[in-house]
Amino acid sequence: MEDLRIGTIKRNERIIIFVNGKEIRAYKGEIVLAALHAAGYKILNRSKDMGEGRGPLCGMGVCYGCLVSINGIQNQRSCMVEVEEEMEITIDETQTV
Amino acid sequence: MKPKRYDVAIVGSGFSGIVAANRLADHNLNVVLLDENIHIGGQILRTIPEQLGTHTVSESDKVRKTGFRFIDNIKEKKITAMNRTVVLAIYPERELLVEKDEKRVFTIRPEIILFATGARERFLPFKGWTLPGVISTGAVQVFMKSSGILFSKKILIGGSGLFLFAVAHDFVKNGGSVVAVLEQTSMIDKLALLTQLSHQFSKLTEGARYISKLLFSGVPIRHRTKIIEARGDQYLQEVLTAKVDQKGAVREGSERIYQTSALAIGYGFTPNIELPQLAGCELEYEEGKGGWVVKVTDDLETSVQNIYAAGEITGIAGALKSLNEGALVALSILKKLGKLDEREFLPQFQRLTTQRKHHLSFGNYFNALYKIPDEAISLIPDETVICRCEDVTMGDIKNALSNGFQTPGAIKRATRIGMGRCQGRICGPVLYDIVAAYTKKPGSKIPLLSVRPPVKPVSLGLLVPGHE
Repeated sequence: MEDLRIGTIKRNERIIIFVNGKEIRAYKGEIVLAALHAAGYKILNRSKDMGEGRGPLCGMGVCYGCLVSINGIQNQRSCMVEVEEEMEITIDETQTV
Repeated sequence: MKPKRYDVAIVGSGFSGIVAANRLADHNLNVVLLDENIHIGGQILRTIPEQLGTHTVSESDKVRKTGFRFIDNIKEKKITAMNRTVVLAIYPERELLVEKDEKRVFTIRPEIILFATGARERFLPFKGWTLPGVISTGAVQVFMKSSGILFSKKILIGGSGLFLFAVAHDFVKNGGSVVAVLEQTSMIDKLALLTQLSHQFSKLTEGARYISKLLFSGVPIRHRTKIIEARGDQYLQEVLTAKVDQKGAVREGSERIYQTSALAIGYGFTPNIELPQLAGCELEYEEGKGGWVVKVTDDLETSVQNIYAAGEITGIAGALKSLNEGALVALSILKKLGKLDEREFLPQFQRLTTQRKHHLSFGNYFNALYKIPDEAISLIPDETVICRCEDVTMGDIKNALSNGFQTPGAIKRATRIGMGRCQGRICGPVLYDIVAAYTKKPGSKIPLLSVRPPVKPVSLGLLVPGHE
């Protein structure tokens, strides 16, 4: 998979997060949504009536298109949370927005 | 629980909020600064957090550097800065219901409220804009600026407004490649002309600089080019574009297909007026200010006593106006609370008010230029999704309109548009434009959707007293 992390930024602490149980690399201080995207998780849920796959739109807490479950709490806007060591994220692509 | 006491509560920590907080704290006022985001600073002052890492190339933008200094000063002053804090509701006597860290809910009752809630992006829906891979220009910036991550290696950027060029510029600077920038107005021609005419608008020349740098780096810029459709199976694969005339109608035979898995879209900005609206502040509609904004006096007080507004919510005009209004509103509040006498107040007030007029006229010019023409609205195909949360299409809205539902509120009840989690923040402004275009009424005559608490979704458990 291509690396989307910008090369001119010197990163500090590499950490591990879990996405649907799978170990994923991330860096402390990254936004959950961006870290998920960099790891290839780009479809996060499904539209209500048509059942189409959906991803984020606004990236700043307005559209609610990036909802995931974080450490057991459902419907978190992943654009409004930073990754932490061993954070557990669940993406349910079948869940409606 | 007894509400906490503050002299001033500032909602939103962008340019206006942080400037005002600093100035008010300098006069020993007890200030609380509330912001929903992870970090203080709003959208323009997003940057790689210390914890994450450091840029190896320096940042030169003067306005941003000014902003970062204000943020640093906040840490040293008597300012209670609360990040990840959402204002859910506002009740009489300026009582704010607040949720912090998705963990606890409490109330704050300040003497003065300053709304500095900023703006969000606006959109002109097209077929397939809901496909994953289609993202807002703002989100592309957030990925880069806050997390150091490119949305993709290669991206197509389209819509209208100067912001498209800023994003393209940053994307290239960070090692990405921009397929093209598609700007649907004829803005570039006009911008070139205006730069020669009015040197006082530093923002303008900044915009022109972005464009010239882009041209220099070889990014194709296509004006009067509109996105017609995003296509793909599950994920974006290609984008159909076409040349349009001044009114937004497609010129036949000008269609072109771009193969791309990333498309960034933006159509300017719309003020975040929901909280002031809920507080009962009078709003006004002015195309030159970017649509519905909070109505303020020259002191930046709203129609509700002791509630003030500053920044993009009083008129879209960019960071310099927000800096100016942050200083101006602080001055007005200091006078109101008896911290300044007339002699100290007046010279500063006059200077800032004069500057403000320049910023407003700058905004006025651009907002009028970016106004999406009614014709472009009526060209939206029936199968296009307008409300992303509830899957309400253009066809559904047209049906409702022809069945006699002639206001946004009536259409909401008929179709469920705006009833999803975003509470109409994305589709609302589009719906207003659609209703105006179809009922042939001016924007000022279209009644807004109601705002009711909680203005953002909240876990019910948090509202139960004693819950931790």
